[in-house]
Amino acid sequence: MLVSGIVSRPKYEPFALDPSGRSHLIVADHPAPPGDFGPTPASNAPIEIWCVCTNPRTTAEASQNGRAVSRSFRSTAHLLDQLDKRLARELVGLRIYAVGIESFVWDVARLARKFGMEKGEYRLTHKGSERRRVYCIHCRAYTEDVTTNIVSCSGCGASLLVRDHYSRRLAAFMGVQVDAEVPGDVPAIEEAFP
Amino acid sequence: MTLAFKPAETFRKDFTYRNSEAGILRFPFPFAEDTYMYSVNIEPHLPGGPSPAYDHAFDVDEHYVAECKERAIVLAEDPNRCKVLPHMTEAQWDTLELIMESFAKDYPEHFSLQKNGTRWSWENRPLGLKDSFTFGDLSSLPYEPFEYITRQAQGDFTLQDQRDNNLFVDGGMVTTQADWSLEFDIGMTFHEWHGPVPLAHQLGVFDRALKFLLRLQYGQPVRRLNWTMTINPRLDTSPENYPVWGPDRNTVTPENVAQKVHLRVELQTLFRLPRSNAILFGIRCYLASVAELARVEKWRKRLHRVLRDLPPELEDYKGLTRYRKLVVDYLAPFDDGAPLSRGPQPDQTIL
Repeated sequence: MLVSGIVSRPKYEPFALDPSGRSHLIVADHPAPPGDFGPTPASNAPIEIWCVCTNPRTTAEASQNGRAVSRSFRSTAHLLDQLDKRLARELVGLRIYAVGIESFVWDVARLARKFGMEKGEYRLTHKGSERRRVYCIHCRAYTEDVTTNIVSCSGCGASLLVRDHYSRRLAAFMGVQVDAEVPGDVPAIEEAFP
Repeated sequence: MTLAFKPAETFRKDFTYRNSEAGILRFPFPFAEDTYMYSVNIEPHLPGGPSPAYDHAFDVDEHYVAECKERAIVLAEDPNRCKVLPHMTEAQWDTLELIMESFAKDYPEHFSLQKNGTRWSWENRPLGLKDSFTFGDLSSLPYEPFEYITRQAQGDFTLQDQRDNNLFVDGGMVTTQADWSLEFDIGMTFHEWHGPVPLAHQLGVFDRALKFLLRLQYGQPVRRLNWTMTINPRLDTSPENYPVWGPDRNTVTPENVAQKVHLRVELQTLFRLPRSNAILFGIRCYLASVAELARVEKWRKRLHRVLRDLPPELEDYKGLTRYRKLVVDYLAPFDDGAPLSRGPQPDQTIL
């Protein structure tokens, strides 16, 4: 049960714009000036950059920033909410690039799939913290921003061992009660996903 | 053989499940040799073999009624144990057709199927069910077709969609599993789904198995065996309920080891489905206690040798760490070290 080195663990590609895109939408879970994304292709395909500033006074107004149009959001939830509305009226040819922690990029992937986008139309780049979203296999609650090997479930309170087994559909790692066999027998809790 | 069902036996709480003597002798014992290691070990699923459990596409045995009841209990607690993604409707009908036709042909005293065009009548006498429906019309059955028919079959089933040169586990009925979660794994590719299995990836087992399965032909099903051990005859050893069954692993003592510890064998079968081109994967679970298996001379010796020499990674993955030694110690006095015949067959016809 507690085996590591699991191959369902996703691998990520370095960020690169897809030259075949008709337009590009980069979404990041952190403040991201256009320079972060390297040289832009010579085509005239429009580029938008959406990022998160974690500040309630931020306004999501669009601003021209060289070739790119930038918007800032107050939280990842704020950004994902707008992305949902945006994708509902999007046309074929858009490429989405999600850049950030794993739970964020897979939330973006889930939205993209919801609107029928195929692999290759959305690209995921893991950047920043290794912290994880954990799905409790026993009670189905999610525990966010987990940085330790064992975490108390936000739903049922079980001490969950965070496994490497990853569900793209749930955008989460599996958490399994670590002391299920011997109640109270919880190993040392250590920083594992800084 | 006429089947005498044992509808009252249980797989939880008082655990009254037992095998009859005939049930023990037909157990699909998984060890053909004195040592065990992973291999692809896939063979054609043709009638016949070292156990009558291989005689039909879907084996029905004395535990049929009790296992269907157990499944209904699990689904009432947790409806998510049956889940099929929306693009798999055709595969659902394929499954219903395959199981109904096989049951009716192989066990005519228990099951009947009458077809009049798309108007079908199905009778399942052991469960007391009689339904008429229109093949292809979802509204004509009390459940979706896959759930309807797998509620009437022993063992778990998953549906694999084939696309992008891969297999995706896009549906399943999973209530008798050895510690994997359909809810978590649904939608995964073949390699992702098998992600937690140790050693086998490095051995290339899954690469070879996937390559083989992508070419699986309609009408040429295949099978393989897998095994683990379970404390008490408990079918629902799901990750979801691990806090419920995990503590059982600490209840094994030298006095109760033979009754408590069960060898859990999965007869895995794979069928290409005709309309959907999906693959139906049957994972049929058989349980026999160490005491029951020890009644067969060859099996008690072989089980001893396999468990004694099991690689540590497999002991850990199969969850045997807390009690493997107790089983080995129990079986050791029965093993004189004499050479055993190759193959898993019991080499005796009465106990």
